[in-house]
Amino acid sequence: MADFTDPIIVVEDLVAKYGDRTVLDGVSFSVRRGEIFVILGGSGSGKTTVLRNLVGLMRPASGRILINGEDFTSMSDAERIDFRKKMGMSFQESALLTSLSVGENVALPVREHTKLENSTIDIMTRIKLELVGLGGFENYLPSELSGGMKKRAGIARAMAMDPEIIFYDEPSAGLDPIVAAGVDVLIRKMQETFHLTSVVVTHEMESVRLIADTVCMLKGGKVVAIGTLDELERVDHPYVQQFLARRPDAEEGGDSSYARSLTGVD
Amino acid sequence: MIALAGRIGRWTLNALGACLRVSVLMVDTVFWLVVGPIRGKGLRARSAVENFVDFGFRSLPIVGMICFLVGVILALQSSYTLEKWGANRFIAVLVAVSALREMAPLMTAILITGRSGSAITAEIATMVVNQEVDALEVMGLNPIKYLVAPKFLAMVLAVPCVTIIAMFIMVFGGFLASVVVVGVPASIYIDETIRSLAEKDLVIGLTKSVFFGIAICWVGVYRGFQVEGGAEGVGRQTTSSVVTSIFLIIIIDLVFTVLFYFV
Repeated sequence: MADFTDPIIVVEDLVAKYGDRTVLDGVSFSVRRGEIFVILGGSGSGKTTVLRNLVGLMRPASGRILINGEDFTSMSDAERIDFRKKMGMSFQESALLTSLSVGENVALPVREHTKLENSTIDIMTRIKLELVGLGGFENYLPSELSGGMKKRAGIARAMAMDPEIIFYDEPSAGLDPIVAAGVDVLIRKMQETFHLTSVVVTHEMESVRLIADTVCMLKGGKVVAIGTLDELERVDHPYVQQFLARRPDAEEGGDSSYARSLTGVD
Repeated sequence: MIALAGRIGRWTLNALGACLRVSVLMVDTVFWLVVGPIRGKGLRARSAVENFVDFGFRSLPIVGMICFLVGVILALQSSYTLEKWGANRFIAVLVAVSALREMAPLMTAILITGRSGSAITAEIATMVVNQEVDALEVMGLNPIKYLVAPKFLAMVLAVPCVTIIAMFIMVFGGFLASVVVVGVPASIYIDETIRSLAEKDLVIGLTKSVFFGIAICWVGVYRGFQVEGGAEGVGRQTTSSVVTSIFLIIIIDLVFTVLFYFV
């Protein structure tokens, strides 16, 4: 289980901007080694932006990200590339390279970063695909797979370099409940088997209940609550309670204000 | 007046920004082509060969066809004027010189822009939209090294290679039209062609074509990475890639023509 003393990722006062628009406004949290850390939030809460900063696809406007005690934000590009070999990421739309077969996709990082024999790489690829339940699919093209299978292949690719940390962006987005639950089980299995620190960005309460050790809830670029799901359910914050109970926003005004907003006449 | 000044200022800033980004792209590409392999970071040679076959070899049928027809056109158009002076034997000179110095490099570049420049943009833009480029970066694979460097190498080699073949085919087209339609004796046509051509013509044509290749690839790649939005954005970038590329080709052509005019 999670080691509760040793943080592997520490985010301190992270501020991120797209142009002049502030998307993250002083986000801080830490992820413990070996846990499943869920970043939860509605659309536009900035949860994907947190993830992009964590994997280095975006540089923060200010703040620090420490991974294994090293400041990831101030690294040179070359150091980052080296550092990224310890991380894997599964993308929302799986982002498999469409010109390569599933097996080649999974083998790609290994082929580029190591000098292993092709036969060894083939065996490693088959093991990873077997792990995510896609044994025997190595010669298929990504376009020949279903959404859930693509997601699994993306996870296999993220696992290819045996990372210490794996990031999942909306793992259950666009999947039916059964397949989505299957992906959740897979995320749990990966964490248990390899003692893998997992950071999951999602808005699906169902998967949060299944997988989360710690939940960090974002709203409007700020952390509103952080803790286990039980702790979150006891937090006395209207947004947290609304989100957990899946209640819609109360409708503002009445018909007349709606009419005014359409016509633009006061 | 102030609005106009503001617009010119913004336009200038945008243009400078674009120049900066293109320069960064150029430096990166050259780094991964030259410095990378020396430092033992490897070059994706197989990918470069595949691209070379695609940009070069597979474009031969269409380039050959078009250049043959342009050769025929050049010969017949020249004959229209030369015939009045009874100088049809000089069709050979006109066709040979204009094919080597101008028409073959230009037609090849424009055809490869339409065929492969657009494909490069569409491919890269789609990969950006599908987050495949993000995925490469997260895996620690540099997109410039992985995607751009092999394409660049392939394009810079493919365009001159295809251009040489296009030159021969164009001259052959002119020969066939002159001999069959106009009625110039084949031996005279061949003599005139050989007599009129200097190495310099070939060098000029090929120098231009190398720069055309650079322009096609860089415009294609740059426009691809610029994509915003989804499928619609990919379409827009592809169109704009072809237009920009052809515009640049003409500008480069003009610069070299002026340069060689004085040399």
